[in-house]
Amino acid sequence: MNRSWVTKLIVLAIASVLVLSACSSGGNKPGSGSNSGSSQNATNVNGNNSGDSGQSGNAGNAGGQPSGAADSSDPFGGWVEGLPKIEAPEGFDWKQFEGVTLNVITENTPPSSGLAANIEVFEQATGIKVNIEQVNLDIVVEKAGLDFNARNSNYQIIYADPYQILSKQAKHFVDLNTLNNDPTLPSIPGGLEDFIQSQLLVGGYMGDKEHLYALPYDNPTMVLAYRKDVFEKYKDLFMQEKGYDWTPGPDMTWDQYYEVALWINEKAKAGVISEVKYGTGHQAKQHDSLMNDFSNVLAAYGGDYFEAENLGDIGTENPGKSLLTSPEAIEAAEFYNELLKIAAPGSTTWDWNGLAEAFAAGEIAMIPEWHEFAGMFENPELSKVAGKVGWTILPKGPKGRGNMYGGTSIGINKYASDKEIKAAWLFLIWATAPQTQYMILDAGFTPTRYSVYQLPYIQKAMNDPESQEAKEWPLASSLIAAQEAWKEGNVYMRPKIPMWPQIDTIIYTELSKMLAGRQSPADTMKEIAKQSDRLTGN
Amino acid sequence: MQQAASRPLMRKPKRNRTEFWMLLPSIVVLAAISIFPFFFMVYASFMDYSLDMDRPRFAGFGNWADTLTDTAFWQSWGRTLVYAGGGLLAQLVFGCAIALLLYHIPRFRNLFSTLFMLPLFVAPIVTGLLWRFLLDPTYGLYHWVLNTFGLDIQVLGDPSYAMFAVIMMDVWEWTPLITIIVLAGLQTVPEEPLEAADVDGANSWQKIRYILLPMVRRMIVVALLVRSMDILRYVDTIVITTEGGPADATKTIGYYLMQVAFRFQDIGGAASVGLTMLLASILMGRFFIKVLRSEEA
Amino acid sequence: MQHRQKLLHAVLYALMTLSLLWALVPILHMILSSMKTQVNMFEMPPRLFFTPTFDVYQEMFFGRGDFPQFLRNSLVVSVVTTALCLLLGVMGGFGLARGNFRWEKDVSFWVISTRMAPIPAVILPLYLIFSKLNLIGTTTGLVLAYTTFNLPFALWMMSTFFKDVPADLEEAAMIDGCGKFRAFWRVVVPAAAPGIVATAVLCLMFSWNDYLFASIFTGRGTQTVPIAASLLVSQSGIKWGQAMATGTVIIMPMLICGLLVRKYMVRGLSMGAVK
Repeated sequence: MNRSWVTKLIVLAIASVLVLSACSSGGNKPGSGSNSGSSQNATNVNGNNSGDSGQSGNAGNAGGQPSGAADSSDPFGGWVEGLPKIEAPEGFDWKQFEGVTLNVITENTPPSSGLAANIEVFEQATGIKVNIEQVNLDIVVEKAGLDFNARNSNYQIIYADPYQILSKQAKHFVDLNTLNNDPTLPSIPGGLEDFIQSQLLVGGYMGDKEHLYALPYDNPTMVLAYRKDVFEKYKDLFMQEKGYDWTPGPDMTWDQYYEVALWINEKAKAGVISEVKYGTGHQAKQHDSLMNDFSNVLAAYGGDYFEAENLGDIGTENPGKSLLTSPEAIEAAEFYNELLKIAAPGSTTWDWNGLAEAFAAGEIAMIPEWHEFAGMFENPELSKVAGKVGWTILPKGPKGRGNMYGGTSIGINKYASDKEIKAAWLFLIWATAPQTQYMILDAGFTPTRYSVYQLPYIQKAMNDPESQEAKEWPLASSLIAAQEAWKEGNVYMRPKIPMWPQIDTIIYTELSKMLAGRQSPADTMKEIAKQSDRLTGN
Repeated sequence: MQQAASRPLMRKPKRNRTEFWMLLPSIVVLAAISIFPFFFMVYASFMDYSLDMDRPRFAGFGNWADTLTDTAFWQSWGRTLVYAGGGLLAQLVFGCAIALLLYHIPRFRNLFSTLFMLPLFVAPIVTGLLWRFLLDPTYGLYHWVLNTFGLDIQVLGDPSYAMFAVIMMDVWEWTPLITIIVLAGLQTVPEEPLEAADVDGANSWQKIRYILLPMVRRMIVVALLVRSMDILRYVDTIVITTEGGPADATKTIGYYLMQVAFRFQDIGGAASVGLTMLLASILMGRFFIKVLRSEEA
Repeated sequence: MQHRQKLLHAVLYALMTLSLLWALVPILHMILSSMKTQVNMFEMPPRLFFTPTFDVYQEMFFGRGDFPQFLRNSLVVSVVTTALCLLLGVMGGFGLARGNFRWEKDVSFWVISTRMAPIPAVILPLYLIFSKLNLIGTTTGLVLAYTTFNLPFALWMMSTFFKDVPADLEEAAMIDGCGKFRAFWRVVVPAAAPGIVATAVLCLMFSWNDYLFASIFTGRGTQTVPIAASLLVSQSGIKWGQAMATGTVIIMPMLICGLLVRKYMVRGLSMGAVK
């Protein structure tokens, strides 16, 4: 009696599920080969990053002669003299994966919109369909985690954030060395050596250098943006009062930065300076941005978060004990706390976006900010400070310098089918190829390849701010600083460890309490150390 | 066979057979999509289980111990009490006050109540974006207004105001729901008792206090029940504006759960936190329904 | 006395205006901002008179992006969910209201308690089911996910409404020769129409506005408008113009729909709550 009742329930349940799946055939399951017509452009709210690409001149075409006579094995076009070529083994059929559909999940960053806008180049050359799904980073992390956990491959190509995805999930990625060394497949144009090496280390590996899981895809880095007009106009006045050249540059120290910021505050209040209201502004919301902003100071004071080796580059499973109770760390926290007291009062409200908007509105003279915002600052539609922004590396501290690096790579999901993996490899090759990077510069993209930086066009743009090339490519102004920032000793790479999301949260939460005056800098550092050691078991 | 199967569920099988079959599909669908998640939560809460693990390991009461001994967890509950309590109370007071206002004005009642309803239709994520826009220190309209009145405060960047601000966002969006429900009730209040009160010389406040409010009490409870379920669960506005900060000032239990589930991907921990939330919701629901039933009786 | 009455009304209208300002200024600011250029948008005090520009809207609807597709997805998911939940909810709500089962109160409470499940905690189990059934990234999956919170709501609302429809109505119809089911459709459902409309609007609103489920269960091609709104906050800046325009577009259908059926909604809501 009971059983038949149960049976009926089950039958009904199945029936209702069937009805449900029938009634919404509009469903568009990623992974299934067929697709409706709406797929030429990838998911993006407004197609391209129109805000950043107000300058419509295509940097890619302006630079050199697109070579029609590229190697016959390269079906993509767009190659220019000086770049390594995309090469395939003799007789390689680029169309052999025709009909495969690839789903890419990525954060909505400049290269993603750049690639999405040009995806037909790849689709036409290979016959592979590519859906680029752009979402916010936390959703990428969650969806990748769910996909891996269920051993699914709803997404064959995944934006592998080194700290939130790669550090935890490396084992779910295809070892790209096997594909790169496969004689039947094309290999990385220019080889791995052509990637900026520090970025390859942090973005490509986890724990050791045996397995390569991902290829560098973007590389935002924190540098100093400042108002050239302000610093030129009041240079002499400052020199008179303080006795040194205040122009931000590699020689500036954090103490001087503080002094300059305070001076600007006072002069602005007194009505002497009218261009800006505040000397410095920060991304000090209770958010990942606060950890980034603080890390620059921490590194400059000689501190770091943990004691283990290789923490910031290839990463490690166990970070060892927290180092935040060190005198250096406490000194850094004390300085940072003081610095934030004289910063623009909105600082505790802002992440990097809010800070950039305030700077673009002309409120602040100096901000430590991600170099990619140059695109926004130089766009007159979005900014009142276009043409007035200078960039340099962040100030140095008593024991060095830190410019936070925040780059990400892309990798391939291990649970995809063999055919999909190979198709995805073709996509990776194309998406990170120098010629493709060159093509999408105008999306506000920063190349991850040495060879691209060697092109005369790029050199001109970076070294001559007045040139036509520089005007076409707004990021050029910040890239000299970014390149300087990537150098050994200047760059700061956060710990690449599996439990980073938790540690990061502890760091910025406690720092936020410090800035709110709830605890002293020393107690803050001790609290972070205590909580992270408990979490890592050290 | 059919009758034999369904009889134990019913008191009067003859009369109610049709109703039973009408209800069954809903029950089945609901069971299919909610029972498994529930048991999964119970199961996961006893497992050491995060998204990057190959397979969950039995953890006994490990998650429960971690969750229940975490001061941040209890602090989040404390803030939730402020957030939900403050939000519901403010919505109730404003909602009723504005309903009474609308009830008492002689003209344009429909126009005004329609206009007042608009915030209800704004998606919570848009509410968050919109208020972030309004309160932004660089170009926020409300920031500018506050500034003009001499209040130079960083509403979302200062722990003393942030909680107030996120409560106000919820109040802004949901007060209209209470208002229209209460107003609908007020409009069904019969004339006689009010006229009788006039004869007895009662003033407006006495009429509100002793006649109008008691008559709409049941609707208020219904509105509060719906709101109380959602105010715990929905964190869209907090996610978009303060992300729990500054200094954890707006980290409610809903946001805490988001962090454990999404940011830390700790399924076991999230399950135990989620179950405490479910328990709290159920207790709250029980309470309101009990009140409701006593009103009916 | 007359004088006092007038004064009182003046105070009432003044208070009403204040409440309306509180409710409407954000929405007006949003709509106006969506028609300004970014530089104008950031001007304080805000400019009330300006030459409106519809560039953002044009870009959204006719530009290179997928906004029309987002809109279509949102529409399909919300309408299908609402239809499904209403169909089940109307029948089930009647069953619940009239059923007189042994565990009626428990069933009824269980129904409403399923709506209380905290979303972040149920996402993984739902994800596991959906991925077994190949529903991740499909409209069907999202409809099912929305059903988890809309069906209990519809059931519960409808059962309160049906409790207010006198049982005599359907009994009279049955005496006239209708079957129970026919009597239900012919007599009871029309009598509860305002309640059904109110429920429908609220279900539509809950699905249309959802962000959390949509962020996980949609894929490229099935993303909805709230996702579009969230994407405007990106790593390289917030596109405020588009955010304001998207916000305006999101509220419009709900607004029109809500206003069209406002009378029903108010009646429906009061019917559910007033004996």
